[in-house]
Amino acid sequence: MDPARRLGPAQIDVLAQLAVATVLLGGIYALIAVGLTLIFGIMRVVNFAHGEFLMLGMYLAFWAFALYAVDPYVVVLISIPVFFVVGLVTYVLVMRGVIQASHNVQIFTTVGLSVVLQNVALVAWAGDFRFVRPWHLSTVIRAGSTTFNLSQVVAFLIAVGLTVALVAFMKWTHAGRVMRATAQDRDAATLMGIDTDRVYRLTFAIGIAAVGAAGVLVAPLYAIYPTAGLQFVLLAYVVVVLGGLGDMFGAMLGSFIVAAVEVAGSYLFGTAWKEIFYFILFILVLVFRPAGLFGQRGAETLGV
Amino acid sequence: MSRVALGIIVATLAILLGGGPDAVRGQAPTGEYKIGVLEPLTGNLAFEGKRHMEGLEVVRDLINERGGVMGKKLVFAVADATDPTAAASEANRLITREGVKIITGTFSSRLCGAASEVAARHKVIYWESSCVDPRFNKRDLKYVYRTEIDATGFGWYNIEFIAKHLAPRFNLKPNQLKVAFLSEDSSYGQGVTESARQRAKTEFGMQEVMLEYYNWTTLNDMTPTILKMKQLNPDVVHHIGFGNDAVLFWRQSKEQNFLFKALVHAGATGYGGADFGKALGNDANGVFALLEPGPGFRLEALRPEGQQIEKAFRDAIQKRTGTYPFGAHQLAGAGLWLLKLVLDRAKTDDPEKFNAAVMSLDMPVGSMINGWGVKFSEVGQNANDRVQHYMLQWQNGQLVTVWPEEFTTLRAKWIPLGAWDQRK
Repeated sequence: MDPARRLGPAQIDVLAQLAVATVLLGGIYALIAVGLTLIFGIMRVVNFAHGEFLMLGMYLAFWAFALYAVDPYVVVLISIPVFFVVGLVTYVLVMRGVIQASHNVQIFTTVGLSVVLQNVALVAWAGDFRFVRPWHLSTVIRAGSTTFNLSQVVAFLIAVGLTVALVAFMKWTHAGRVMRATAQDRDAATLMGIDTDRVYRLTFAIGIAAVGAAGVLVAPLYAIYPTAGLQFVLLAYVVVVLGGLGDMFGAMLGSFIVAAVEVAGSYLFGTAWKEIFYFILFILVLVFRPAGLFGQRGAETLGV
Repeated sequence: MSRVALGIIVATLAILLGGGPDAVRGQAPTGEYKIGVLEPLTGNLAFEGKRHMEGLEVVRDLINERGGVMGKKLVFAVADATDPTAAASEANRLITREGVKIITGTFSSRLCGAASEVAARHKVIYWESSCVDPRFNKRDLKYVYRTEIDATGFGWYNIEFIAKHLAPRFNLKPNQLKVAFLSEDSSYGQGVTESARQRAKTEFGMQEVMLEYYNWTTLNDMTPTILKMKQLNPDVVHHIGFGNDAVLFWRQSKEQNFLFKALVHAGATGYGGADFGKALGNDANGVFALLEPGPGFRLEALRPEGQQIEKAFRDAIQKRTGTYPFGAHQLAGAGLWLLKLVLDRAKTDDPEKFNAAVMSLDMPVGSMINGWGVKFSEVGQNANDRVQHYMLQWQNGQLVTVWPEEFTTLRAKWIPLGAWDQRK
């Protein structure tokens, strides 16, 4: 049977469900990518350990649930300050030393951090797959013939909320303006009396807080294990590049594009094809629009 | 790097790898017979590797209580095979330093290839208990044996179960069955799936409605696959899962209200792992996974000698770990017991005479641990229909033995599966 045959009511139902799957999956990707795009955009550091902070967020949700039966939606509130501090500490101990160094050094450092965190998790919590099972797991909202997983809907709404909040923060607050100024020209910002070290510290902490919270939110949806971050992090890079460096709305749109490519590719050609498609897209964007689909021209070299 | 630094590193490595001054050299004096044991005891395979060690140690003690091997007490020279490189170098060390003539191991398909390669080069007997890579016995290596079936054997059993147990209970003939094949893309997943497809088609004429492989490490959403399957309307989903993918497929199938008559998996990963039950609780009800025997397994179904050793083994594991034996215990334990049976017959570790003893062994199903029988092929592979495997089913949070029915007190339920909220 050809899934692409003539359009009937059954096919329309399938299309509607595929669209829903795209939006909900895109929401998860956006949630994960927003912190990465912030760090990428302001600090010009590719944080290869991003996925590991996501994994730590998932473990926080797991242990809070397993030991104290705390619902992930409560944990998410706790996770923001917790991961803000984790971000601060990581910045002070690790990132500050390499922030002035070349990109190669930064890449090696964050890759090293990623491997360290994976192995710490492996030693501390073993390699088992773990799961969080709150009561709302698998709660499904049905609208007509389409179904929405509640956890995914919540993740989607929070992703949108977080993106809007960060954009507003960057645009209208003093701290946001200072962050943008630093991103545009670190030296000039320093000359204007901006404490760039403080800006980076804040940026990194906000970025890690965002991904930590994302980890808590996706914990009920996916297995939790030491290398769980790798499942999403490659995707997050694609999203960030697609959306343009540091562009929050761009990252959100990029997430939906990647999700659409993944869902359509999986449905029409098979799951094995999905990565081929979105990495082709990734390469095309890098070749033809290096600033991203929505980024401003020249942004790719800002501050480098 | 300076020569001094290099020298220090080499010396450190030599000591770490066991060449230190205190390392035991050569074969111990008479009274003991030493074999090499290679298992991953550190690193990310260690969890299963340690269970293998438990199974081996329990059976070693059972063997020694029963007179040992060739009149000597069986002892182990244990080596840690963390990864393929370590497996090869440690196999080498066991042979050259410890002087062993037989090596057993190694749990993982990632390790058994490298380790057996080294053993074969030294004309040392390699006795594999658990790895299931189909290529293992296809390399023309001498004195390399495997007691467990390979991945293709799992496919063979799955189709046996679908054709002979499920089809009649659906009131369908095997050639009326529509099967969707879905699998993670490791050599294990592909080995099981391809052999199952082959047997389903040529022997039973089943209708294959779908074949799809995926990489489980990057799989975040199975909705598109499920929507596609829904339209194809299979009776049976043959899904080899690894971890997250099994849970994701089952959960999202429920969300999409995808109805089919049965899901069949093979192996201790994915649906066959304890994690699947923990993740889904009673929602896991109904899934089948081909494994070693679990709760419900009837001792009385075995032959007298099989009953005796299975009971002793189960009790010893229970005493040591407080649980019913896990798959890793069962594979390692059965493998070592079978080695004893061969040595009893060969009375020597001379590879040619050992080989003759292996080839002459012919024991029916029910003769030993796990209810296995023995009949090796000339490439050193124990036969599918002798290495009895069992279909287990998730029933209210537990994987229980349901097939073949003569081996179990419990029965398969929810056939066909029916509505998602009715599986209680």
